[in-house]
Amino acid sequence: MVVAITFEHVGYTYQADTPLATPALDDVSLTVPDHGYLAVIGHTGSGKSTLIQQLNALLKPTTGQLTVDEFTITPTTTNADLKPLRQHVGMVFQFPESQLFEETIQKDIAFGPQNFGMAETDALALADQMLTQVGLDASYAQRSPFELSGGQMRRVAIAGVLAMHPQVLVLDEPTAGLDPQGRQEMMALFDRLHRERGLTIVLVTHQMEDVAQYAEQVAVMRQGKLVKEGTPQEIFGDPDWLRANQLDVPRAAQFAQDLTAHGVTWPQGLPLTASALADQLAAQWPKGGAAHV
Amino acid sequence: MENIIEVHDLAYQYPDADQRAALDGVSFDVHPGEWLAIVGHNGSGKSTLAKALDGLLPFTQGTVTVGGVVLSPETVWQVRAQIGMIFQNPDNQFVGATVEDDVAFGLENRQVPRDQMLTRVAAALDRVGMTKFANRAPSSLSGGQKQRVALAGIVAMAPKILILDEATSMLDPQGRQAMLALVKELHREQQLTVISITHDIDEAASANRILVIDDGHLIEENVPAAIFAQGERLMDLGLDVPFTAKLAAALQQRGITPPTGYQTTQEMEEWLWQSLSNTSATPTKPTHP
Repeated sequence: MVVAITFEHVGYTYQADTPLATPALDDVSLTVPDHGYLAVIGHTGSGKSTLIQQLNALLKPTTGQLTVDEFTITPTTTNADLKPLRQHVGMVFQFPESQLFEETIQKDIAFGPQNFGMAETDALALADQMLTQVGLDASYAQRSPFELSGGQMRRVAIAGVLAMHPQVLVLDEPTAGLDPQGRQEMMALFDRLHRERGLTIVLVTHQMEDVAQYAEQVAVMRQGKLVKEGTPQEIFGDPDWLRANQLDVPRAAQFAQDLTAHGVTWPQGLPLTASALADQLAAQWPKGGAAHV
Repeated sequence: MENIIEVHDLAYQYPDADQRAALDGVSFDVHPGEWLAIVGHNGSGKSTLAKALDGLLPFTQGTVTVGGVVLSPETVWQVRAQIGMIFQNPDNQFVGATVEDDVAFGLENRQVPRDQMLTRVAAALDRVGMTKFANRAPSSLSGGQKQRVALAGIVAMAPKILILDEATSMLDPQGRQAMLALVKELHREQQLTVISITHDIDEAASANRILVIDDGHLIEENVPAAIFAQGERLMDLGLDVPFTAKLAAALQQRGITPPTGYQTTQEMEEWLWQSLSNTSATPTKPTHP
């Protein structure tokens, strides 16, 4: 397994060495394979955002170290070394549309590459390409980003991140505040970037349905500690543990668990999505009640 | 029964937008003590509608009557006295330096005597479970706590109508459930009329009735079960598809025909385990040979 991201005993304290020191990450060790898809879940204040901000050294570890592909970040890493890292790791913050500022969508997307030394004509051409990547056609290029809907503005902001050709895409609650359709389209976009362009994805979210459907690996944070890590099946297969930790259980898993009380069994493991649930139900459906398709 | 809100032929156009109307010929009534959900995708006009009810928008055509008062520039304060509103972003609605001051703000505005005000603020904070935060700065609270403080403000003022404008959409799942549970209690205990503008299927399911707004028009009005029976089409209406409908569609694809119409989780579970345990009877017909 080629490893893209490794956290080695990473600790982080806000305002370290002051009376206001607040520990936010405590001895986190974790690896994400190359082309992996990690979801980070946990309550507000559990350290999720602090964790992912280590990935492009917006916050540098107070103790321990991490590597992201060929980059190593330690407590003594200096800002002068960070430019290639920041190009390598694309960050999409919460409500990224609030960072749009240019007068046209094309210029806004081209801003990042130009800032990293690309010629203007190349950057503008690249912007047009990126626009189609996020599902907006070329007719948007010359419009103002501020006349778009919330979901469209967010796509433009993401196109700006993609224009840097990152290998790792870090997403902090990317669907917050979108309507269900916008949410679904956004998640499908990240899934496509993951599968077709091989991007390593790190997603922070409260949406367990999205985790169940898209993630390959799940990390659960609590009070700055990594308390559980595994496949979605390993994490969500134990709804009682999730409830004890006040985390949401995917609807399908909850539904399946209720059926367990009536004697239904799940030989393939507790299903986590509606289609996985339907598969297992169909497999044990009484003859004559189901057609064999 | 007299309506608490009557909206007749309402229209509004944003001053500098393209020709499209934000609201066009919208009419509906709200019954006292009812919970009405207004749904629609982003940009459908549903938030514009909420603002119009509270006199926050100078609508270009139509009438709004709240508690028998016809909304006009002269009566806007009489109308607002009957309505409490909670918005999506809790940070945009705080004025007090402390939680307690913030809850007191509305009462001060109405010149409620100080001794009465103190007891009402304390009772309101207690009602929403925020007593121990009374002296904290609102900015130090989580999103869910902020919305509870906003609800305390509503409890203290005791309006007849509460409008929630996507008030749970920025909260984490726990915060959302806690807020919704609290609104349900207040709705029941105080015969509060609730109008909730939402994308959240659980919030919409709490309503007695749902209005669907699309492109500035009221396109549908029905009880939640009838709206939810539309399955996949709900996405176009700005709602999520209920889990039971997703499961029904997935089963159908596998040649199993679930009962028609919207099923609650419990109904669906019951039908499934009965079908699975009853090997002799054939509760469904195959859809494919």
